[in-house]
Amino acid sequence: MNRAGMVKVLVCTGAIVLAIAAPLVLSSTYWTSVFTSIVINALLVASLRTILTIGEFSLGHVGFMCLGAYTSALLTMKAGLPFGVTLPLAGLLAGLVAFALGYPFMRVKGIYFAILTLVTSESIRLLAFNWRSLTGGIDGLIGFPGAGVLSIPGLGQLDFDGFTEYYYLTLAVVCASLFILYRLEKSKLGFTWLAIREADKMAGAVGVNVLRYKVIAFSIASFFAGIGGGLFAHFERALGPHATASFGVMTTIYLLIYMVVGGKARFVGPIMGAVVLSLVYEFARPVEEYQPMIIGVIAIMTVMIIPEGLIGIPEKVKRWRPKLLN
Amino acid sequence: MDITAQEFWQGLINGLALGWIYVLMALGLTLIFGIMRIMQFAHGEIYMLGAYAVYYLTVSLKLPLFLGTCLGMLFIGMLGLILERSLFRPLKEDWLSAVVAAVGLTLILQSGAIAMFGLHHRNLPVLAEGPFNIMGSIFVPKDRIVAVAVAVFLSLVLYLFLKATKYGQAMVASAQNPDGAILQGIGPNKMAALSMGIGCALAAAGGVLAGSMFQMGPYMGLLSLVKGLLIIVIGGLGSLPGAILAGMSLGIIDGLFPILFGHAWASLSPLFFVIVVLVIKPQGIFGHE
Repeated sequence: MNRAGMVKVLVCTGAIVLAIAAPLVLSSTYWTSVFTSIVINALLVASLRTILTIGEFSLGHVGFMCLGAYTSALLTMKAGLPFGVTLPLAGLLAGLVAFALGYPFMRVKGIYFAILTLVTSESIRLLAFNWRSLTGGIDGLIGFPGAGVLSIPGLGQLDFDGFTEYYYLTLAVVCASLFILYRLEKSKLGFTWLAIREADKMAGAVGVNVLRYKVIAFSIASFFAGIGGGLFAHFERALGPHATASFGVMTTIYLLIYMVVGGKARFVGPIMGAVVLSLVYEFARPVEEYQPMIIGVIAIMTVMIIPEGLIGIPEKVKRWRPKLLN
Repeated sequence: MDITAQEFWQGLINGLALGWIYVLMALGLTLIFGIMRIMQFAHGEIYMLGAYAVYYLTVSLKLPLFLGTCLGMLFIGMLGLILERSLFRPLKEDWLSAVVAAVGLTLILQSGAIAMFGLHHRNLPVLAEGPFNIMGSIFVPKDRIVAVAVAVFLSLVLYLFLKATKYGQAMVASAQNPDGAILQGIGPNKMAALSMGIGCALAAAGGVLAGSMFQMGPYMGLLSLVKGLLIIVIGGLGSLPGAILAGMSLGIIDGLFPILFGHAWASLSPLFFVIVVLVIKPQGIFGHE
């Protein structure tokens, strides 16, 4: 393994160790729940970036998260299925809907695609809010079970109902999903996506079915958004008007900002953005009204000063250091 | 579902009034997008600020609504000029950065509005009192008719400006072919500033109509923004008739479908509508490549 590879592995291990140790060190329910939502956000932005690898950007990721959340909640509540079954089903439904929508949507590009996804997410959110018989409308869904007892091969029966236990479950699911997303990006499929982003006409000319690969990227990203939604639903334990607000345009805005502030060019960028900005948001809690404003100012300053995002900082420092020393 | 003729007409006229507010949003958005190639995500917040500016001009300073609206449009138009110069011009090379800047601006303006004006809903003075009689026994509120008239008037002014004046033609040229326009001596920055100013003023007018007929609050912008953006896709970029047709259709969907088919179907119908349009004509109804 070369040096860069070693650094990558070390950084990953360090981040995971830190994530495992954090709730034990802080031992507060509040911070554990903050970390849980940060981990879910990390999955959402990382999968959002998958759509960016085909050169499109989505403003509707949160809609697929909403689909996943309601699917998992309703299946545990009405069909009595265990969480271990409903979570993949949540992802699957979100992925299938994205697959069906992908064909008409991918006929347009750029801003148009972004607008369509935005409309999709708003429609899904309003549907969840207005379909009273299924989702409870304004009263919401209350009292669906948490993750409960899951049997894990090699470990036996484990109870994930507690806050800390659920955090670890979320962390494990998200780490596995991130690993899959990362491997996909480095696979042949990922390189095909890149080829489409760089030159879609060229890719089409050498025999790549551009439309199909685009739809696949969109579906995979939405699958993981659905998983994120499922994790979110059983973390909140209730999907009411408060939750439908968190499936709204504001969350889309935050996801987009996390992605670009972190740095869209590399896999780790958006995850870093999600972690750093969520922590900034949390530490700004004393001035609650101005939390969004602080994030907005950071977003604007980032695109003005370092458009590459946080991951571009080392590069910048490397370029500036010799000039400063001379 | 049984509905009376009165309810039907009420829903239709409400929908038309809403639709024309969306059209005003969409005209600004398509102008800005056509010339600056920027998705102005903060346009909904501009619309909200327009409503609040006019609220303070008319309710606190006791100006008449007409004068207040004109002044409000002027102020918000100037705000647009400032935003174009300070925020969007440095970012015009990278469209994703520009979107993020617009999104950041949304957060700043929205939380600023919550901090300054509070969360509670307010109302602007009504446009016109009393009912309006159509077809004998059916009455609809008069302010809806006035709102539609105002929006139609503003759209017509914009149309004439773009078709018949030197600056309007320069803007059209700049949208159709930026490089060609530069060769003709049309400065892209000047056109961008102009489009931002006009777009923001139109959004402010839309905000005033919405604030007067319905309610105004710090979050009022996002919904109209989504509708305005959707109109661009459905109608086709840069097409005035397309925007008007799409806007009225969406307005009628919003006004009539909830009472005809229930809220659940009504919330999905704009999505179905846009999918049908895309399958038949990806460039939008009146769009071209």
